[in-house]
Amino acid sequence: MKRFLDAQLLGPLAAMVLVTVVVAATTDRFLDPGNLSNLALQVAIVALIGIGSTVVIFAGGIDLSSGSMVALLTMILATAIKSAGLPLWLALVAVLLIGTALGALNGVLTAYLRIPSFIVTLSGLIAYRGVALMFNAGSPIFSLHPGLEPLFYGTILGIPLPFFYLVFFYGVATVMMVNTRPGREIYAVGGNPAAAKLSGINVRRVQTLAFAIAGAMTAVGAVLMAARLNSGSPNYGQTLELQAIAAAVVGGASLAGGRGNILSTLVGALTIVIVQNALNLNAAPAAVQNVILGLIILTAVGVDMWRAELARALGGILSRRP
Amino acid sequence: MASEEQPLWEVVEVSKAYPGVLANDRVSLRLLAGRIHGLMGENGCGKSTLIRLLSGVHPPDSGEIRRKGRVVTMNTPTEARAEGVATVFQEFSIVRSLSVAENVFLGRWPRRALGLIDWDMMRRRSAEVLAELEIAIDPDVITGDLSVAHQQMVEIAKAVAADAQLIILDEPTTALGPDEIAQLHRLLRRMRAKGHAILYVSHRLDEVTALVDEVTVLRGGKVVSRAGETAVDVDAIVSAMIGGSVADHYPKDRNTRTDVAMTALSIASARGVRDVSFTLNKGEVLGLGGVLGSGRTEIARALFGLDPLTAGAIVVDGRPLTLKGPGDAIRAGLALVSENRKTDGLFFNFAGGANMSSASLPRLSAFGFLDLRREDREAQALARQLELSAGATEKSVLHLSGGNQQKVVIARWLLSQARVLILDEPTQGIDIGAKLAVYRLINRLTADGCAILLISSDHDELLAMSDRVAVVRQGTIADIRAPQDLTHGDLVRAATTDAGRTAA
Repeated sequence: MKRFLDAQLLGPLAAMVLVTVVVAATTDRFLDPGNLSNLALQVAIVALIGIGSTVVIFAGGIDLSSGSMVALLTMILATAIKSAGLPLWLALVAVLLIGTALGALNGVLTAYLRIPSFIVTLSGLIAYRGVALMFNAGSPIFSLHPGLEPLFYGTILGIPLPFFYLVFFYGVATVMMVNTRPGREIYAVGGNPAAAKLSGINVRRVQTLAFAIAGAMTAVGAVLMAARLNSGSPNYGQTLELQAIAAAVVGGASLAGGRGNILSTLVGALTIVIVQNALNLNAAPAAVQNVILGLIILTAVGVDMWRAELARALGGILSRRP
Repeated sequence: MASEEQPLWEVVEVSKAYPGVLANDRVSLRLLAGRIHGLMGENGCGKSTLIRLLSGVHPPDSGEIRRKGRVVTMNTPTEARAEGVATVFQEFSIVRSLSVAENVFLGRWPRRALGLIDWDMMRRRSAEVLAELEIAIDPDVITGDLSVAHQQMVEIAKAVAADAQLIILDEPTTALGPDEIAQLHRLLRRMRAKGHAILYVSHRLDEVTALVDEVTVLRGGKVVSRAGETAVDVDAIVSAMIGGSVADHYPKDRNTRTDVAMTALSIASARGVRDVSFTLNKGEVLGLGGVLGSGRTEIARALFGLDPLTAGAIVVDGRPLTLKGPGDAIRAGLALVSENRKTDGLFFNFAGGANMSSASLPRLSAFGFLDLRREDREAQALARQLELSAGATEKSVLHLSGGNQQKVVIARWLLSQARVLILDEPTQGIDIGAKLAVYRLINRLTADGCAILLISSDHDELLAMSDRVAVVRQGTIADIRAPQDLTHGDLVRAATTDAGRTAA
């Protein structure tokens, strides 16, 4: 248990609890069951894509392409169902495989061709949305399949399905990062690629794996996005990549790589969504919401960066002798 | 020593301590105008520290630095430059993308009205400085396109243009060929004639004796020979540098067995390793001696699969190796403790335990799942064996001392069950106690039958801890001898004089 609940998770968790208490105390309808399950729905897509973004960050890279990839993948899903007439399950499998392959491509360009991941995925951010616009003359495709919406809105025992997806994928991701060799190798490569190489770790393969995981999680997010609106659209997922990275950062992942707890990305995503929800319930204008989101990211990273100094200053005061 | 002439610069009883080492211990030095002064000593003797004090990189803890008899304090390199000190470090401070003229006036570009750079003035003045120094370089050329030797001359021209009276050169010839060295020396002699004081730091004895007027020798942070006390002569300088007999506090056990652990057959790599052959027996320590840049690290890289072999073969335990990367080398039982544990040894994002296990992940996992308990158990056991500080396996290695960090890196290869260990400068930057721990570890490993390739620039250590010593020069092994047939002075000479002049 110690390995799962480390200091890197406790800080963001405490911040989230604080935010929740403040919001619950000041906002009437926040604790309504309807609002809470709405929260689970709102956080699901960002938090699931955030798993991939965080794994890439752990490996020392960055993935900016996920938002545009979501748009492209919903258009591929829509086309596969509506134009190609594929059965739903086959279309879903195809989208998951294509997402993984596109992620792996990011990885190959970064690891083997040594193009910085920021550039590779920035190109993806721009290009994938362009590719998405090439489907169906750039128009959204609606009413995809009656079996699609339940994937997002379905419930078990009254609990929305996305809650179970979060539990499942965060559980798998946590076990992978803590208990498996690939997880350890991802941290090693992100922490010091030169030392990882000298330890016999295949650095390029590990980097490619991290991006492939990000692609797979982006595909999962894309399926839920399509299910939520039973449609595909080249306009879906705008700024989603930044929200996913923000979740990782608010959760305390170091952009320098090698450090962080994957669960804290869920905490980060929840913190952001709870604040947004509170602002919505209090009818704050969208402009204000953006400003506040920016401030949250700045505060979270600031506290993280200055944590050691803050602790030292505090310790210095406490242990000062006469 | 009775020079009554007022020195241009004088260092008086200066001391400087770094954590764990007194790098300069009451060092004094007199630098006269129109003289080239050699500063000599082995690695770690305090040469670099003294240069840093004179160039304002660090202030001394005690003692004085005087310019023309006046005490000066220089707390930054900018202040030192303002006092007329220019230092040409091994890594040049030249901006490769700028023209020669821009570099000569770097940061002090002549301005016209409105703050615009006066390009005409800058070109004219740099052409004048270059002409004065008789350096045939066009001021409009991009500096990065010049040869290393010419870049260095631009650096010197920069010092002269800044009106520096004292020019310090730190190992200026490491990257130069014989002709370029001669060219540099001609330039320095011309500057001497113009009344500059030059402090010349080099470990290449032959070139120093050909150039300098007087020499100061440092050993263990102290001046062991002042200017005028030692003749400017290879033998005299070597005996001053190494002092008395080789220290006898090396706990060397001889564990060489008769069976062969590793053989290298005429290996070569694209990084300049050529025709390297040797046999390493089980339990044996083969030392690799030679100067920086002689190719010792490159030989290690080739053996460990970091640089592909362009020729030759490596045989370990009777089986020829096919090395596609370090992973193959590790599987064959090889290990490399790299020279720079901070940049390519340690994972600062990991605690000690994960640092130790990073090369053993395949062994510690089944179907991709790590056995965390076993990892923890094995790391703890090693930490106890190596007398690591308490809790080292759970703390970030950032908080460990240099010696403990080195133990963690070596522990990595004990955990990987390596049989042939390449140790590249394993005691660099660690204190005496930790050095002894490393020596005892070498003894323990060889007693267990492990073979060790020891790269060290500390000649005492190399001669004391090796069973045989190979002298490496220009990417190849020039000679292999028993250390008792090799004196300290031989090794210094063999490594620092050019090929053709065999060590006697």
